[in-house]
Amino acid sequence: MAKFDAYFALAKEKGIEVFELYYSRAKSLSFKLYNAQIEGYKLSEDISLYARGIYKGKIGYASTEKISKETASFLVDEIITNAGTVTKEELAIIFKGSEKYKKKNVYNPAIAELSIETKKKNLFEIESKLKAADQRIAQVDACTYQERESEAILMNSYGLKLKRKSNYYYYYASVLAIQGQERKNEGDVHFSNDPTTLNIDTFVNEIVKKSLMKFNGTQCASKDYKVVLDKEVVADLLSAYLDSASAEEVQKKTSLMIGKLNQPVASKKVTILEAPLKKNAFFTYFDDEGVATYNKTVVKKGVLQTYFHNLNTAHNDGVQTTGNGYRSGGKIEIGFRNIVLKAGRKSLEDIFAQVGDGVYITEVMGIHASLNPTSGNFSLQANGFMIENGKRGVPLTLITVAGNLMDLFMNVKEVANDNKLLPNGYDIPSILIKKLTISGK
Amino acid sequence: MIPKKLASAVLTEATAFGADFAEIYLEDTLSSSISMENGKIEERGTGNGYGAGIRVLKGLQSAYGYTSDLSKKSLLKLAQDVGKAFSGPRVVTPPELQKVKVKEIINLSTQPMEAISVTEKIKLLKLVNDTMSSFDKRIIRTNVYLSDMVKHVTIFNTLGRFVEDTRRRGRLYMIAVAAENGKIENFGEGPGASDGFDFFTSKIKLKDMAIETAKSAIGLLGAAECPSGKMPVVIGNGFGGVIFHEACGHPFEASSISKKLSVFWDKLGKQVANPIVNAVDDGTIPFGWGSTNVDDEGFPAQKVQLIKDGILNSFMIDQFNGRRMKAEHNGHSRRQNYKFEPTSRMTNTYIENGPHTVDQIISATKYGLYAKKMGGGSVNPATGEFNFTVSEGYMIRDGKIAEAVKGAALVGKGDETLSKIDMVANDLARAQGMCGAASGSIPTDVGQPTIRVTEITVGGRGGGK
Repeated sequence: MAKFDAYFALAKEKGIEVFELYYSRAKSLSFKLYNAQIEGYKLSEDISLYARGIYKGKIGYASTEKISKETASFLVDEIITNAGTVTKEELAIIFKGSEKYKKKNVYNPAIAELSIETKKKNLFEIESKLKAADQRIAQVDACTYQERESEAILMNSYGLKLKRKSNYYYYYASVLAIQGQERKNEGDVHFSNDPTTLNIDTFVNEIVKKSLMKFNGTQCASKDYKVVLDKEVVADLLSAYLDSASAEEVQKKTSLMIGKLNQPVASKKVTILEAPLKKNAFFTYFDDEGVATYNKTVVKKGVLQTYFHNLNTAHNDGVQTTGNGYRSGGKIEIGFRNIVLKAGRKSLEDIFAQVGDGVYITEVMGIHASLNPTSGNFSLQANGFMIENGKRGVPLTLITVAGNLMDLFMNVKEVANDNKLLPNGYDIPSILIKKLTISGK
Repeated sequence: MIPKKLASAVLTEATAFGADFAEIYLEDTLSSSISMENGKIEERGTGNGYGAGIRVLKGLQSAYGYTSDLSKKSLLKLAQDVGKAFSGPRVVTPPELQKVKVKEIINLSTQPMEAISVTEKIKLLKLVNDTMSSFDKRIIRTNVYLSDMVKHVTIFNTLGRFVEDTRRRGRLYMIAVAAENGKIENFGEGPGASDGFDFFTSKIKLKDMAIETAKSAIGLLGAAECPSGKMPVVIGNGFGGVIFHEACGHPFEASSISKKLSVFWDKLGKQVANPIVNAVDDGTIPFGWGSTNVDDEGFPAQKVQLIKDGILNSFMIDQFNGRRMKAEHNGHSRRQNYKFEPTSRMTNTYIENGPHTVDQIISATKYGLYAKKMGGGSVNPATGEFNFTVSEGYMIRDGKIAEAVKGAALVGKGDETLSKIDMVANDLARAQGMCGAASGSIPTDVGQPTIRVTEITVGGRGGGK
């Protein structure tokens, strides 16, 4: 990375007090199958350079994908202009480095070593097995393989230099199943960084089962129900809920968890961890400010243990950063990865039996639009099943589920023992909620 | 961005292995943004997006690759790697590249955003900020964000087409957060255009919009939870058009039509809506947020009549999906940037004015929901099932607008909802949004006059009727 020395020299010459570069590079390969033919093939190489600098006590940002002779001066000049524009009183910090880092190698060479022919053969097998599974499967509308490897280097003028490298692959397939006037579109992802984990039959059967069991869907009466939320639904809602644990939101007074440190924010059944050091594709031993990350309990038996901090929010609160400074565009904001909701003891079936009559939600849509992170209110398009006499009953389609995020987690009555590792690195079980509003007929 | 000679060499290399079409898309985009919170500048950011995408087609197969390294060596290597997705003898020899003159629709402002000083831009942000924050003491937080970009695009293809185009866009987001008695609500607006600074300073009434935004946030504090169940819904003009965007726009795109995934694939020439419903997608609106001089395959933008007198008239088609449909492409191939292969997308999509007035619609509705302002939504084009959210709503009781309600989502099936539009008013307006799909996030306008849908599932927290 000797070529970046000139950037640091120029920054110093132009009066930038502390300078930082974050260089990232990713390569990916994908192909998709349609009607037993490779329909699309894609190769890519992404290069980005993010720069930050402190100029006259203010911090400025700039980024580029263009690496040429002019790049250094573009970045340095923009940092100077942008730093001069900031009027918000905020501590300008670029980090000198943590005492200790827990570096692990999560890059798996086996992904790239596996031949392209094998990967294509897998796709052909997935498509043909999906088509053959049932005559109601009208089309395999998506059948895709992608692999991606990325590396990043964070370096600053204090001499800090941190590197990370990771890779993953996934297979994605979905089917359009038709029965009479009913159309169901269901898919699944197999995401991993270990090629030996793919089991094609399990993958195919799951998609087929999910799509066929939704036929004869109906709408239930509009009222409040006891509701079991399936793992993936819980993961979506949990992510929005934890955004409120961001110290930035708290300090801006728009979090649902203001003043809740060491106070209940969920029912006693709920324990949530953040595990950035868990060895998977989302592992990272430093955050985007260069702070060493660590695993932590965020909510313990319903009580909030900590907010998520970056250097700035930690400074404002007079605490240590929690290593949750992640870049959003140029600016460092708050993020988290590898969230674990601790499993309970009961099986999903036991929980259905406990519910007696209620609703089991397996899918929600439109969360980006229909969940208001400020108020916590949501009303989401959903699919699922009735729970009748303690068992899963008829499928429900085009219903909505509405509630408030804080109320939802305060009202968790049971956490199931069916944890699943999801493609986003979350490890999540299904949960039972005392009451949510369902709209149907 | 690269010499014509190199472009020819790249196209020749890309078609060496049997491809019947090749295209190079080059992009150099400078973007800048300023964010203000509670009157203070939080950040000014600048970025430079830069790269090339090479696409080759062979019948119904495509291969695509991209890179940020635009050196001769890198581009020729990429052309070869992408071209080798196919195998076979050469079937096309690229003809000489002829530069096509672009008709300017969107690039005509005399005050391009990149020429405006940071000080001028901050003044504008401050005006919006101060208007919102001084509106009511319950406004506890204001965010104003201005972003603009200038994108230079060059496209070469084996039809001999060589197009250079410049796209300029600017957008201003405003969010007001209101709080009272432990309740927090927010409301936002985001006007934008393929236009210059004068769009914000003189073409729209920005101050009035800031007042309306603050007022809506305050209004939500006192709003009751929306009831749930099936009921008639009157959907307001402007961003209300998101219903047509989700319910029909996406299912009218060639990407889902060509594979017979969309429920509308065999409905061309058939009655799909009440005869009072007419709808278009028009990429040629001067300065329109979703307008383009040329699409991302280098062909001129077009105005397409999607629905005429309730009859399905046309789809939005790109080259690749056009092959499967055996239909001509019509200027609707778009992509976020060079990292995406282009596909059929919307530009400015809206329902045209109808025979009714807003008053007639409200007074003809005994009980229902008036969804005055809409938020975003999503659709699955294969099932037609969509959802979108009401950001400002009122109940209608006995033909009159009654109490404010909040927290409602509307869900339904596109074809069913389209057939249930029974009244269309004459107050057409458009509003800006970002639309996400296979080829990335692109600017699109939605729009409509006020309409009524006879029955739609409303999901609120206020329980059944």
